[in-house]
Amino acid sequence: MNSAVVLAERFRVPLCLALVFGVWQGVHGLAIVPDKFFPSIPAILAAFWQMLTDGSVLVAWTTTFLRALIGLVVAATLGVALAILSDLSPVLSRGIRYVSDVLQPIPPAAFVPMAVFMLGLGVKLYAFVIVLVTVWPTYLNGVAALQSVSPVQVNTGRMFGLSRSQLLWQIRLPAALPQIFTGIRYAATISLIAVIVSEMLAGRDGIGFMIYKKVNALRTPEVFGLMFLVAFSGSALNALVAVLRRSMTAWHMGMMERRE
Amino acid sequence: MTAILTAEAMGKAYGGRENRLPIIEGLSLSIQRGEFVSLVGPSGCGKTTLLMCLAGLIAPSEGQVRFMDRAVEGPPIGLSVVFQDYSRSLLPWKTNLDNILFGMRRVVGMDKAAKRNKAKEILAAVGLTGFESHYPWQVSGGMQQRVAIARGIAAQSELLLLDEPLAAVDAQTRADMQDLLLDLAQKFQQTCLLVTHDVEEAVYMADRVLVLGPRPTRVVREVVVGLPKPRDQLVTREDPVFLHARHEVLQLIRDMRHRKASA
Ligand SMILES: Nc1ncnc2c1ncn2[C@@H]1O[C@H](COP(=O)(O)OP(=O)(O)O)[C@@H](O)[C@H]1O
Ligand SMILES: [Mg+2]
Repeated sequence: MNSAVVLAERFRVPLCLALVFGVWQGVHGLAIVPDKFFPSIPAILAAFWQMLTDGSVLVAWTTTFLRALIGLVVAATLGVALAILSDLSPVLSRGIRYVSDVLQPIPPAAFVPMAVFMLGLGVKLYAFVIVLVTVWPTYLNGVAALQSVSPVQVNTGRMFGLSRSQLLWQIRLPAALPQIFTGIRYAATISLIAVIVSEMLAGRDGIGFMIYKKVNALRTPEVFGLMFLVAFSGSALNALVAVLRRSMTAWHMGMMERRE
Repeated sequence: MTAILTAEAMGKAYGGRENRLPIIEGLSLSIQRGEFVSLVGPSGCGKTTLLMCLAGLIAPSEGQVRFMDRAVEGPPIGLSVVFQDYSRSLLPWKTNLDNILFGMRRVVGMDKAAKRNKAKEILAAVGLTGFESHYPWQVSGGMQQRVAIARGIAAQSELLLLDEPLAAVDAQTRADMQDLLLDLAQKFQQTCLLVTHDVEEAVYMADRVLVLGPRPTRVVREVVVGLPKPRDQLVTREDPVFLHARHEVLQLIRDMRHRKASA
């Protein structure tokens, strides 16, 4: 009984995949949705293999993934930097807060068309869109994290003679890092969404554009194949963040495991 | 003897103009080099607030604190605090040894290797050999407390302020920790100001007990404890001098409580 749980735990990824595929094939077999709109798994795999061998998907995927990754790195750096600046200056903090209150609720799809006019279809467009939607989770988490550092820790630093900037680098940032990473993880997901949506609307390259093309051509197996690829890309991006987080806040993860 | 720390007519109030909450009023005290002084007062009377003022971590509203003949305007070099919330004052991303070394960052005339050796020596003195590379959250609460005390000692301060460091442990551990603290103070010639709400502890540990009054608090009595050192949990606590000092402090606190009740 217990060893079955352990076994299930160890093989949870293949088990889940098998479950999803099983249910998928089951639904497909019932033929509720026409085969044209809900292809079988083998059909999807075949279509995906086709795209893979002609090279089109690899080029598109590299473009998309690099955009999401670079966008995330820039946005996270900018978000944390803004959080630090806000922490130093209450006036700036209020200013950024007003800006974020206005901009944050706008979904990327709403300003991509405008941005295409203003910035064209190149790097600038993606930089603008991704950073604008991805910067907020890191910024807001960063501000909250810096504010919630225990006063006892800050006093400890002051007592041992840390200056204001030393307090920031040696006490407050390390203490805030776990929560900052919560924001970055969230930003990773948003970054990918922003890239895909932008590519769909900008209509030139990337997985987003590819999905758009295939949808219009009613190539359903290809669309589903690309959808799974996007899901995989999201997991890969999250995994990269997790690796960084593990290396930078190992102490926190150890502490949390111990608490349980 | 020379005073290393003095407070003159010091006051501290929290809140603003409308909801002013005076915690300390007209408080004066002085600590001499080499002394072990206890500061005893009931919970909530303002002991932590007082210690923060003495350490330059918060500014008094009135009066002045002087440390080593200088007005205290921020945390001065040569003064360390073992905070009441000791477990949170240890930095969880540093190992026990690195926490101690962090406490030694203002120690001069020692290179890195010498500091490491000293830090290890002090960890050994509090019985934590073998736990140098553990993180604070990997050791028990009692051990964390000893790391915090070790860090205070390691700073090689002229004066160590301890805020109820033994409040949260059982009686036996507490007795052991009292003796450990006295040993450390002796061994490292550490001048100490120990804050406690436990009268017995205050008398047992100290050369001099300062009794705090009700809020807004000030020092209402000084009791000199003429007991020989080293102290002993059995012998000292049965010594007539101990009993007399304890009686005096308890009597005073009881009188204050009665006065407050009838007022
Ligand atoms: N930052 C603060 N603002 C307002 N009131 C405070 C603050 N810190 C402590 N107090 C109040 O001051 C009183 C004394 O607190 P404290 O110095 O911690 O007492 P003690 O250490 O003797 O238990 C308490 O009533 C507490 O609620
Ligand atoms: Mg207190």
